[in-house]
Amino acid sequence: MSEKSSTMLLMGVGGAGCRIARRIVELFNGPIKTLLVDTDDKSFDNSDSPCLLLGGERLSGRGAGGEIVSARMAAEDSMGALDKNLAGIRLACIVTGLGGGTGSGATYEIAKHLKQKLGIACIVFATRPFSFEGEARHRNSRGMIPMIAEVASASFFQQLDKLAQNIDNMEQAMAKAIETLAASVTLFWRLIEKPGYIRLDSEKMRKLVQGAGRGRFASVTFADSDRARKCVDALSDSRLLSDGTNNVKSMLCGVLAGDDLRLSEIAQIAQGVQIAYGTNSDFELATVNDEESFSGTLSVVLMLFENSPKETLVAEKPARGSRKTRSGKNALAASPQGRGRFNNSAPTIWRGEDLDIPTYLRQNIILDF
Amino acid sequence: MINIYAALEIGTSKTVLAIGEAPTGQKLKLSCWAEIPSSGVRKSQILDISQAAQSVRSVIREIEKKQLAKGDSITIGNAFLVVNGQHIKADPFQGSVPIARRTVSSEDIEEVQQSATTMPLPRDRERLDIVERAYSIDDFGGVADPKGMAGRILKLDTFHIHAEANRINDARTAAGEAHLELRDPLFAVTCAADAVLDETEKRDGCMVIDCGGGSTGWAIYSDNGLVATGVIGVGGDHITNDIATAFQTTQAQAEDLKTREASAIVGATGEDASPRVHLAGFSTMMDQRTISRHALNTVVNSRCREIVDILREALEEADMQHRLHSGIILTGGGAAMRGLNELLKRELGANVRFGVPNIGGLEDENHTERFAAISGALLYAHRNYEQKSFLQTLFGGFRK
Repeated sequence: MSEKSSTMLLMGVGGAGCRIARRIVELFNGPIKTLLVDTDDKSFDNSDSPCLLLGGERLSGRGAGGEIVSARMAAEDSMGALDKNLAGIRLACIVTGLGGGTGSGATYEIAKHLKQKLGIACIVFATRPFSFEGEARHRNSRGMIPMIAEVASASFFQQLDKLAQNIDNMEQAMAKAIETLAASVTLFWRLIEKPGYIRLDSEKMRKLVQGAGRGRFASVTFADSDRARKCVDALSDSRLLSDGTNNVKSMLCGVLAGDDLRLSEIAQIAQGVQIAYGTNSDFELATVNDEESFSGTLSVVLMLFENSPKETLVAEKPARGSRKTRSGKNALAASPQGRGRFNNSAPTIWRGEDLDIPTYLRQNIILDF
Repeated sequence: MINIYAALEIGTSKTVLAIGEAPTGQKLKLSCWAEIPSSGVRKSQILDISQAAQSVRSVIREIEKKQLAKGDSITIGNAFLVVNGQHIKADPFQGSVPIARRTVSSEDIEEVQQSATTMPLPRDRERLDIVERAYSIDDFGGVADPKGMAGRILKLDTFHIHAEANRINDARTAAGEAHLELRDPLFAVTCAADAVLDETEKRDGCMVIDCGGGSTGWAIYSDNGLVATGVIGVGGDHITNDIATAFQTTQAQAEDLKTREASAIVGATGEDASPRVHLAGFSTMMDQRTISRHALNTVVNSRCREIVDILREALEEADMQHRLHSGIILTGGGAAMRGLNELLKRELGANVRFGVPNIGGLEDENHTERFAAISGALLYAHRNYEQKSFLQTLFGGFRK
């Protein structure tokens, strides 16, 4: 599938997001419709991909200085320019790093714009700061996760510590984290762009992720004779897929290999991951046979979602200022962050609702910023 | 002789101290007041005694400075306490006595009044007030003055308004640290109602809504008596917090937006109003930041409508939703929220006015509805002083 005809767009947002997106393009080694987005023009140095500088006169390409609000406003300013890059796009994948200003703030505004204003399904792959990073970055990250999860069709938030397991050197750890995430997203991209016998094209993916909510995401690759079992074992033990809960309503499993992919291997993987993460979940399987990219290897991409897409398919463009028709609570409304200054106060309960949480959040009122 | 009273309100947003003066036999006048931003108070409850005490110290110093500037000197020894918060409850209680003779005598009335005070309260509750609603003789209710009427049993319906004792004691402790003794704790909402209502309004049916920073209280009157009263722990601070959450601002910026730009009605501002609202107090880089007025008003409107829903429910429970012939009277600092009066009018279908305290000394002030509760407390003190002139300790202060 050519870059020109694709209805999928890869967006790198913020400094880390641009790095990850550029790495995905390298790994994919084929045409990917890409857009790099940042408030700092240094992220675009030596890039062959289209770039969009947010904030224009407001920030003059100097970055958002770690300010979420600056980045959100910069993104708001640049929505017109963003729209020009979205012709024909039906599914957007945003890769980003939370903790700074642009990755946290602009991602939220862009995801909201894509999904609510343009009806483009939006998947966010985001990294969370290392545990040792300063409180300000963690606060940025914590505050924006529920907001991004609310506006994105599906979202994944992976802690850098988990992506860069067992590496002590800071630079190497960061590089490893970016590499791990980029590799996983690249496999995900191949799954859609190079469908095999069990197809998963972008339109099907679009429907699958709409309303899928927050998810967990990991990929593994093995090459020897017992590769299917090793894939299942690795996925079963993956720290990236474990969050201490068994809240999995649906899962997507992609199996990617060369021409030597056997049916027994597919069955072993499908059965193994369902046993590991819930036999009652909605299970979607897709395969890719690509001898050029996967000769002799077997890769598995696994996505676990906390919602079932079949239950939550909704109209993506509610009227401006109208109340959402979707049932279920706003993620921020259900979180302690939603209580703001009343976080440590005894709640005021009326009709079973905590009135300390902003009304517009509890009533799922969409604000026209 | 000039009677001097002091009243203190440790509110969520502001701590207010007011002095009332009345030469014997004359109307009470609010002679001096001071208000400072509160610390250590949230949702009308003290969370940090030392911070609250500091607020009380500051407000005392402020009022003493104002008095000195007027060439007067005053030491405030004690003050009546205005109390608010969701912990305050009002329970109905009926006292009754058999009528000793064939018609009701003054002694019968005193006896039934005494009987009506006997409602037991749990240890952790402190009684703020007993509000008389109406007398009834046998099954004949709604009697205003039963003296001389015939019957077998005289009854008196009352409301016992009570609060969490610990919350009152916290206020006493905070004031004590500032060397201020607190006298009777008084319920803010009925104080406000006493200050702004006349007898006609109480007779014809009305609702007083006291909009505070941390809570919203209401008192519904009909047939000259209190029909229902209550407090919900949601107030102006919640509107501020909603704005701060929606637009990722500081609380101070949100407060500024609320008072300067926001309206409880979406689309209420005139056509000349800009669709974007500037956000003050940002660094140079962010001086340009604006937010959508529509979104701002949507946030405020959603919160205000929810508060109105709670008030509507209170009216329905009291079967008063179509009987507010004298309308709605808004008091408290939150009453100044732009568009709130119009929203109440639309949603509850009653006329709305701002409650002006029936007390002298506020002639040059704007938004006097914010002084309603503290004025009511001073009026209470004066009323009780005049009835019990021997109680010198009622005096809130004395001139040097």
